[in-house]
Amino acid sequence: MKKYDILTTDKETLRKWYSLLTLGRAIDDKAPVYLIQSLGWSYHAPYAGHDGIQLAIGQVFEKGVDYFFPYYRDMLSVLSAGMSVEEILMNGLSKAGDLSSGGRHMSNHFAKLEWNIETVSSATASQNVHAVGVARAMVYYGQKGVAITSHGDSSASEGYVYEAINGASNERLPVIFVIQDNGYGISVPKKDQTANRKAANNFSGFKNLKIIHCNGRDVFDSMNAMTEAKQWAIENQSPVIVQANCVRIGSHSNSDKHTLYRDENELKYVKAADPLYKFRRMLLRYNRFTEEELLEIEAESKKTLSAANKKVIAMPDPDPATILDHVLPEAYEPKVYTDGTHHQDGEKTNLVTAINETLKAEFRHNPDTFLWGQDVANKDKGGVFNVTKGMQQEFGEKRIFNAPIAEEYIVGTANGMSRFDPKIKVVIEGAEFADYFWPAMNQYVECTHELWRSDGRFVPNVLLRLASGGYIGGGLYHSQNIEGALTTLPGARIVYPSFADDAAGLLRTAMRTKGFTVFMEPKALYNATEAATFIPEDFEVPFGKARIRKQGEDLTLVTYGNTTHLSLAAALQLSNEGYSVEVIDIRSLIPLDKDTIFESIKKTGKALIVHEDKVFSGFGAEIAATIGTEIFQYLDAPVQRVGSTFTPVGFHPKLEKAILPDTQRIYEAAKKLIEF
Amino acid sequence: MKKIGLFYSHSTVKTAQIARKILQEFSDEEVEAVNLDEAWDDDFNKFDNFILGTATWFDGELPDHWDEIIPKINTIKFRGKKVAIFGLGDQKNYPDNFVDGIGLLAKVFEEIGAQIVGYTSTEGYTYGHSVAERDGQFCGLAIDFENQSRKSNERVKSWVEQLRREFA
Repeated sequence: MKKYDILTTDKETLRKWYSLLTLGRAIDDKAPVYLIQSLGWSYHAPYAGHDGIQLAIGQVFEKGVDYFFPYYRDMLSVLSAGMSVEEILMNGLSKAGDLSSGGRHMSNHFAKLEWNIETVSSATASQNVHAVGVARAMVYYGQKGVAITSHGDSSASEGYVYEAINGASNERLPVIFVIQDNGYGISVPKKDQTANRKAANNFSGFKNLKIIHCNGRDVFDSMNAMTEAKQWAIENQSPVIVQANCVRIGSHSNSDKHTLYRDENELKYVKAADPLYKFRRMLLRYNRFTEEELLEIEAESKKTLSAANKKVIAMPDPDPATILDHVLPEAYEPKVYTDGTHHQDGEKTNLVTAINETLKAEFRHNPDTFLWGQDVANKDKGGVFNVTKGMQQEFGEKRIFNAPIAEEYIVGTANGMSRFDPKIKVVIEGAEFADYFWPAMNQYVECTHELWRSDGRFVPNVLLRLASGGYIGGGLYHSQNIEGALTTLPGARIVYPSFADDAAGLLRTAMRTKGFTVFMEPKALYNATEAATFIPEDFEVPFGKARIRKQGEDLTLVTYGNTTHLSLAAALQLSNEGYSVEVIDIRSLIPLDKDTIFESIKKTGKALIVHEDKVFSGFGAEIAATIGTEIFQYLDAPVQRVGSTFTPVGFHPKLEKAILPDTQRIYEAAKKLIEF
Repeated sequence: MKKIGLFYSHSTVKTAQIARKILQEFSDEEVEAVNLDEAWDDDFNKFDNFILGTATWFDGELPDHWDEIIPKINTIKFRGKKVAIFGLGDQKNYPDNFVDGIGLLAKVFEEIGAQIVGYTSTEGYTYGHSVAERDGQFCGLAIDFENQSRKSNERVKSWVEQLRREFA
């Protein structure tokens, strides 16, 4: 391994480093000035004090081969990795040309995807699971590099950091987790974070994991640590933690005032430990450079910054007219079944088999597909409901595998893996039941943000499957409908089929559509006779296309999932009494087929929204409001809703029955509305 | 006894204070103080016996003034030379890195052939971990200004007497 030190490192390398260090520091010092001048960069987290490790991260990073997930303090890291001053300023000043997000994401969130410098969240260290995911792809596709992820010491308290390191250790993936330890999480000292003074030591019991400690303020020690880490990670195909001890010379950011919690003595000694001045002193003391030579480099850095500043200041800001761009990527358009319906008959397939067979067909169709989740692949068991049965046997353990009981890890590594190549499509069983998906919500938000946040540059190619809903006597934690919470976040397509053919068709479309799709499966219907249908070969259902399951004239009943069948039963009952109810299964919640709903209401003049979720703040509230706002003039009666009570779902069958909607309740509401 | 070189950074406060106490205990003929901030190989080559002073920075690091000169020190032959180290630490607030600087410096000088002298007992100190601890002893003199400042004079005095014997 190459060893760097002040005596033997060649002068050109030292010159390059000093140039980067002085240039980076000039930008670091300049950033707050833009805010004072009201020119932007309203969020800046100064890196001064982290100079050694950040220089080293950038120097070991190989563009287009390695992946780097920087955090908001990593400005020198990305400069050292090769990003230009102009590119950094474009991000800082949120210009339209900002490579990270075109001004959409907060300043100090640097990215350059063409080099694999990745876009990340402000929820620091969330990107660790992405790094693990992309490393999984690197290993699968035989790319010899590392995924580097970086964050502060306080973020190491997050559960997802544990999940990422545990996963990388278990899967033996070449990930370098850099902990830049400056002793603070904003104002919270490290003693309030964890008992160990060095957070990395909390992970000392992990197998297949190397922990390297270095002085993050020292260029040579940091270079040696990062070089060793990279070499070891590649040679051993295993993760490394590099704990770099740094100091935070400034405040956490320009919205923090560190004099409120740090005394003069502390501020004095952290300043005295400034890595840049240490490096400068050493260059002079060991006669590697003269004072004049260093002054010349410093002057050159100032000149470079000044020239970039002039250029970037004049660049255009983002255009507000583009805010609706890149919420969702383009959808796959079905070629044969363009409206997602068919009129064919034959042997019926139940819902669980429909999903299983469609998944298999799509995995045969696309060899760059992967599936993981809890319980999805162990001998003859394929998921808690056997949806993935037989897949591991057919497609192998590299493509179909169990995940640890770590929902954030399941979703986050899918996001990460799909960064490696857009041809990759990942299917995840987000949790054994939708009820257990909540720990993954941070990564759900990530998946929904990516496309918009990156200004169209990246979208996770992920299909998230969730076994949802009740009617199985499952109680509070096996009955939840969580779509109301998911639909409020822009950036996901969400479908919720209630028949086998629609499940197959929507799944096929989702598999062939780039981007993030949530596929909600009404688990009570997996083996239900009423949900079984004939499924035409290669059936496809487009997103945002509702299906009229029963035509009628007196009332429009809008529903999805389990309640489609209850609604159809209620409609049949009403039909026997001479009433004609039109039952629309929306199938897609996002995008919502407003046209079909509106056309029906224009005909019937009355609308009843039925879903299994709670009436209060359920997705039906959005449908009702949309109807009221957009076609009020066609209504002959107030829009009504049927759903569950504003309670959790009770376990005892009597409680469950009292809480969840049933045919009788739908029948009564529909009849009352018809007779209004 | 050959003349002792007392190396410490003159820009420090507490380390310098202890260094001055040590100087007082010795005669001018016995010890010469050298400012580490300006020291170079010639300064080290002048002596056979050394007293080195160091703090422990952050979570167990050498201060920059030592860290910066180590590459040079590594080029100097110390075989046959004796080195004694005093270090400052805070048992209460940094119990896991108490006087680590002593241990870190000892390792550096041992690797280039020096013999470490001036070991002291760990009795009377309460801490979690120290790189300076070896077989129940510190490989130098541990001074805790923050929590045991009253003991400093006595500890220095006793250590100097010990060094006189060990440097002889």
